Amino acid sequence: MAVLEAVGLRKAYDGFVALHGLDLVIEAGEVFCLLGANGAGKTTTIQLFLGFIEPTGGTVRIQGLDVAQHGLETKRHIAYIPENVMLYPGLSGLENLEFFNQLAGKGRVDRAALRAVLAEAGLQAEAIDRPVRTYSKGMRQKVGVAMAIAKGASALLLDEPTSGLDPKGSNEFSRLLVTLRDRGVAILMATHDLFRAKEVGTRVGIMKHGRLVASLATDELSHADLERIYLEHMHD
Amino acid sequence: MIRLIATKELRELARDGRFRLAGAVVLVLLVTTLGFGWRLAASVAEERSAAQQAAEESWQGQGDKNPHVAAHYGKYVFKPLGTLAFLDPGVDPFLGVTLKLEAHKQNLAHDAPAQDATAIHRFGQLSAASVLQLFVPLLLIALGFAAWTGERERGTLRQLASTGVSMRHLLLGKALGLAGALAGVLLPAVAVAVAMAAWLGGGADPGWLGRLALMVGAYGLYFGAMAGLVFFVSARAPSSRHALVVLVGFWSVTSLVVPRVASDVAARVVSLPAPAEFAAAVRHSMENGLPGGAPREERVSALSAALLKRHGFEGAEAFMDEAMLQGIELQAEAAFEDEVLDHHVAGLATALARQERVAQWAAVASPFLAIRAVSSGLAGTDHAHHRAFQVQAEAYRRALVQALNDDLARNAGDDVWRYQAGRALWERAPVFAYVAPGLGWALDHLGVALAVLVGWLALAWAAAWRSLRRIPLF
Repeated sequence: MAVLEAVGLRKAYDGFVALHGLDLVIEAGEVFCLLGANGAGKTTTIQLFLGFIEPTGGTVRIQGLDVAQHGLETKRHIAYIPENVMLYPGLSGLENLEFFNQLAGKGRVDRAALRAVLAEAGLQAEAIDRPVRTYSKGMRQKVGVAMAIAKGASALLLDEPTSGLDPKGSNEFSRLLVTLRDRGVAILMATHDLFRAKEVGTRVGIMKHGRLVASLATDELSHADLERIYLEHMHD
Repeated sequence: MIRLIATKELRELARDGRFRLAGAVVLVLLVTTLGFGWRLAASVAEERSAAQQAAEESWQGQGDKNPHVAAHYGKYVFKPLGTLAFLDPGVDPFLGVTLKLEAHKQNLAHDAPAQDATAIHRFGQLSAASVLQLFVPLLLIALGFAAWTGERERGTLRQLASTGVSMRHLLLGKALGLAGALAGVLLPAVAVAVAMAAWLGGGADPGWLGRLALMVGAYGLYFGAMAGLVFFVSARAPSSRHALVVLVGFWSVTSLVVPRVASDVAARVVSLPAPAEFAAAVRHSMENGLPGGAPREERVSALSAALLKRHGFEGAEAFMDEAMLQGIELQAEAAFEDEVLDHHVAGLATALARQERVAQWAAVASPFLAIRAVSSGLAGTDHAHHRAFQVQAEAYRRALVQALNDDLARNAGDDVWRYQAGRALWERAPVFAYVAPGLGWALDHLGVALAVLVGWLALAWAAAWRSLRRIPLF
């Protein structure tokens, strides 16, 4: 079943076309990795799914609901993890999770259950009650994942979530994504990391100048193949 | 949802050292100004009641005298301090408190406290009201300028938007959080103020509680309007720094510049005669009669004839003793003088009231002016209350002069100016007791300012609400 769907999706800013008619379907349990140079349209695509910007043409649907018409409702199904998960620095990881989770309409959840979710996302037990201002980027990303888990999101929108993480942090994050994928979450991730894309992605798409120029299934590819195809496309 | 957001806002504020410091500073300022105001009010009330008692004693102990001479000798009355004047001295320190009541004259109160202010008086000028009117809005600005811009700059606004929370809920939650934080600072001060007012007013002045309650409500409107503006500006500003500059600019223009300009404009639009001019006009009418009316002699004899007729002595002048005729003559003269005074004072009062209305309308350009008018009006320390005192004192002066002239007419016999009355008459004469106007009267005078205040609140929140439609996430 299509969880995330873009049909003829276009976005133009004052004459500059950021996205030329994108068609994309991501099903439950799929991880679609968007590759491409900066400015290729990856972030634009994710923000259109989030409803942060409005499409110039075409539609975006989440669980069959048009984002343009059901903005707030579609948010119930998704979780968003940007390059830097931004939290309230004065509140602890637990308090941030509790706040965002209740905002998402999940009602009051037992704190012990939220602690368990944070632990599942890999946050060290001693960090859970510390103010977020003391967190590293990797720890904040983990709170972001915990927010997605607690919310029970059926789709995840990730915008370069691992850039700037050390290899260990990046590896931990990827393992979390695989777990979520195996639970049937549909994932759309913009990334520059070909290695991680091959590891966690079920498909990769290469974007260039606002067009999806290639879409490949990862199980038919080796790392070397992916890198070669990517570089071929980047060649002007 | 709104409660959840408010709780989070409060929790963040409570952990923010800057807020704790700013809140503590405002609370300390409030309690200090309340303390000084209260001490000053208590000593002033005591001084004035002692002065009033001394004046009464000197009146009664003036010895044997002709009653009309006593009317010239006169009597001092002192403006009592309203119970809530310690909260908001209003224009009281600049207006007179001592009023000499005497025959043929309507004096203006003099000896304004500002004339011989000592250090404590000068600190007393920084009243609890000025802290509420000037510093609390700054606190609101400090707490709220980054309400939206800060969320955007930290990136939390996108995180919030991704949860599907509505911007209206966010605004209401933030407003509730801000209100909670402010209540934490102000409620202890309100409790202190109530205790002080109860001590000062006690049972003697039953009206203070209602006035104080309305005052709290009026400040609620004012802070609500300021908060709405803060949220509006924060939603529209490109950055927190812009928001702060715009808000502090608004604050300084509306609370420092506009009041100066407004009083100049009011003085220019409605011109008042200089005191010397006014006195000269009164003197001229006293000597020559009112403009368009009969000359003095003619008017006095008409009034005298009317008095004779009223007392049933028409045509019986030949049978009346000298004192009665003299008494009637004095009454007629007093009545004529009252007519002249009424005419001039009414003109002055109308001009003053118009000037105050212009000043109240100026609040359209400054919510600070609106709350200043409402606050001092409720505290009983505005011009309207001062005039009420003048009017009551004048009514009392006339009653006193009449009582003395009556005694002269009734008891002096033929040798009018030899006649002397004594302590018995001085004690029998009416005693001045100022009755502070009621709450309804005060509100009547504040209609414009209250309406403008409500207008600011409505406008600010309409703007804050509308700005939600396009809060940029980036």
